[in-house]
Amino acid sequence: MKRKTLRRLTSVALVGAMTASLFAGCGSDGGSKKASTKNSEHGGPYEDFLTIDVYDSQANFQGIQSGWFAKVVKDKFNMELNIIAPNVAGGGDTLYQTRSANGNLGDLILINADQSKLKDMVQADLVYDMTDLITNCDNLKQYSDAIEACSALADKEGTWAVPSEITSGDPTEPSEASDPTNAPSLRWDVYKQIGYPEMNTLEDLLEVGKQMQEADPTSDSGKQTYMFSWFKDWDGATMQNASGLAALYGYRFVSGFALGKSDGTDVQSAIDDDSAYVRALKFMYEANKAGLVDPESTTQNFDTLASKYTDGQVLYSLWPWLGSGYYNTTDNMNAGKGFQTAVIDDMECLGYGGSPEGKMTNAIMIGSKAQDPQRLADFIDWLYSPEGIEMSATQTGGACGPEGLTWEMGDDGQPKLTDFGVQAFVDIDDSLQVPDEWGGGTWKDGISALNYKAVGMTAKNQETGMCYNYQTWPDYIERTTSALKQDWAEHYGVDQDTTAIEYLDSIGKTLTEPGTNYAVPDYSTDIETIKEQCGQVILEKSWQMAFASDEDEFNSLLKEMQDTCKGLGYDQVYEVDKENCEAQFAAFQESIDSAK
Amino acid sequence: MTRAKKSSTTSGKAKPTKRNAAQGKKLFLLILPFLILTFMFSYFPLHGWIYAFYDYRAPLKLSQCQFVGIKWFKTLFSNSTQVSQLIQVMKNTFAMSLLGIATSFLPVLFAVFLNEIKCKWFKNLVQTLTTLPNFISWTLVYAVAFALFSTTGMANSVLQQIGLITEPIKFLDSGDHIWLKMILWSTWKGLGWGAIMYLAAIAGIDQEMFEAAKVDGAGRWAIIKNITIPSILPTYFVMLMLSIANFLNNGMDQYYVFQNSFNKASIQVLDLYVYNIGMTGKSLSLGTAIGILKSLVSVTLLCIVNFASKKTRGETIV
Repeated sequence: MKRKTLRRLTSVALVGAMTASLFAGCGSDGGSKKASTKNSEHGGPYEDFLTIDVYDSQANFQGIQSGWFAKVVKDKFNMELNIIAPNVAGGGDTLYQTRSANGNLGDLILINADQSKLKDMVQADLVYDMTDLITNCDNLKQYSDAIEACSALADKEGTWAVPSEITSGDPTEPSEASDPTNAPSLRWDVYKQIGYPEMNTLEDLLEVGKQMQEADPTSDSGKQTYMFSWFKDWDGATMQNASGLAALYGYRFVSGFALGKSDGTDVQSAIDDDSAYVRALKFMYEANKAGLVDPESTTQNFDTLASKYTDGQVLYSLWPWLGSGYYNTTDNMNAGKGFQTAVIDDMECLGYGGSPEGKMTNAIMIGSKAQDPQRLADFIDWLYSPEGIEMSATQTGGACGPEGLTWEMGDDGQPKLTDFGVQAFVDIDDSLQVPDEWGGGTWKDGISALNYKAVGMTAKNQETGMCYNYQTWPDYIERTTSALKQDWAEHYGVDQDTTAIEYLDSIGKTLTEPGTNYAVPDYSTDIETIKEQCGQVILEKSWQMAFASDEDEFNSLLKEMQDTCKGLGYDQVYEVDKENCEAQFAAFQESIDSAK
Repeated sequence: MTRAKKSSTTSGKAKPTKRNAAQGKKLFLLILPFLILTFMFSYFPLHGWIYAFYDYRAPLKLSQCQFVGIKWFKTLFSNSTQVSQLIQVMKNTFAMSLLGIATSFLPVLFAVFLNEIKCKWFKNLVQTLTTLPNFISWTLVYAVAFALFSTTGMANSVLQQIGLITEPIKFLDSGDHIWLKMILWSTWKGLGWGAIMYLAAIAGIDQEMFEAAKVDGAGRWAIIKNITIPSILPTYFVMLMLSIANFLNNGMDQYYVFQNSFNKASIQVLDLYVYNIGMTGKSLSLGTAIGILKSLVSVTLLCIVNFASKKTRGETIV
């Protein structure tokens, strides 16, 4: 009898447990997320400690922000940032789709406002109207034009979003500090060894590559070197690395498959035989045939590639910041080794002018479900304050960091790097420890993972006239003068302080895209479906073409790509893209006219 | 089915007493969690089918989107390129399913041979080791595959070092023999797990039969051939028929992790195609439409198999 009761009890308990477990997964996001603990020690106006979910389309880190930047945010706003990064999660737009369909992207949202994104999000009630929140925000007030222009994209009255990279000054002047965003960057020491051969056009890089690979066959750790190494992480509807090569001639994908030249003179269809994109694929194919391409290109990700640059396994860098950021340490530079921008005779390196009304391609918003919207508005306001700009900005953007830690103002009114700053920015010391009073941890881990540029890269503090970007400081330039840079300057016959962008600009090898507030509209669902299907075909075939075994295969793959795309309705998409591209060109012209 | 009918008629005759009613309630309570589970995970999600009839775009609400009827179903067959893409996808799906069915006898053989091992600890060890891979997710399997077979992976390094090859072999990033590679991976992962069912069936065979056979002087082979295998064949057939009903459901995990630009054309099975269109390609409505068509075909297949089973074996499976 006892046994029977026991069995009955057990079965009831089991049933209960199973039923309970059914519902366990379906509750709210749980108590842990918005865990708010009273923080009596905190003296500021923000009593409850909050964990803020930040949906950040540009972040390359996922998780809770740590280190010195976390301490700043905690001290000022009594909150921590939990960064949700689609870049890390992978799968393209999947994370946006699932989170937005669920009705809550995050408490803070950093995403593009164009392509109807802001309009959709406002319509779906995902974004908080901050009109009443920013009435006392002095920093944001300076940018009210930009905020208005960006919020107008929502098609609904209200203040919805603050655009990024707001730049005062001439929109037709380059906004980059030292190099154009796109430029051919080589291992200068190896280029020197083979006698600086002249390059008349892109394809001459192949011969140079062969010689360079022969001259420097092994990396610092003894691995085989390659001229080129590609990666697939940043691919969208097209192969990103091929677009990078097309950008050397001033072309970029303005909308979908329309490849526009940024001086507004030419629109190309990506898959045409003579497009800059197909030329780039052909170049990649020939490089692979010549044994210049790292065989791991097809499978590696950006992190692996970056470590190869650090080790000196790759001799060419698609973007100057990539090679120099990972290889040009003080030690290497003093030894005469490092990346420098070279000149190809017919290139027109694509760079970007400043945008007085900010960039719609990345903007910051408050989520409609945020617990304390006022605090978040204050946080955004802080991001646009001189202090915020110094402390946040990006890993590669050159923000100077907190005053007193990395730099201090000299008696002559010029900022100077502290010893700590030298270790952080000049020596690029990855294991540099931050003093405990600043929050401890390593400098690198503590950098803001938001990867958000509130203002342009060469913006200046209006009170002190100091540029936020340390790379333009005389002190930094003096400290980084090296044998490598000297040699570069001597070769091109310029003076030591000349930056690559100044030099290239002076000889007419750059193409600066004027900043505009033009926002690419979204496709209808029909066109979107075709575009995505075509994009998958183009991406797949592009990689196959770059690694084709012979010319015939290359051509047949190209033909296959063109036929399949055309069959799926490519022309309908391109028609829309072309129109968008022309609207963008008109905006360029407008911007140029207004600058005059 | 027939047996169930009999019992229901007998109990129908008996007068329902209080005791029986209480018993019934208890039994119902026992099955309740499973009913809820089935409803929540099998029927409730079906309401999502409605997305196929709208111009849906995240993050809008369905009410903010336009109703378009069967537009997306028509899109699927709107031009020859769409159709030929679909045909290629079906080819991959059929190939993977057929290869799966063609190799479905492997777990049977494995179970039979495993059963012949008399050393108990060794038998358990083998069984555990072969069952374990089933619990490793495909993502981790791919991580292992990558470490072994990427261009700088172990296999290529070893082959290069002993001088067999000079250029690394592209195991992962090429479309050659991809079906074969996929079936090898899934066999490695599923062999031990698939054998469990048959091991249970073997354990259920009447021991007297074996003893009688031994007395009659039958050897090992004769026992396997005449007793073990015939006894587990019914189980095998049920499994086989279920797998035919699941012909279109290859699942997508395995193909998703292994897909890249070089093998996509031959690895994209129906489930993966739906994912690539719906989630990656942002066309959730079209993806849902394909999903619906797939379900309809699957249900039809199941009915056909069920009917065939009734005709040939006198037993249904659903």
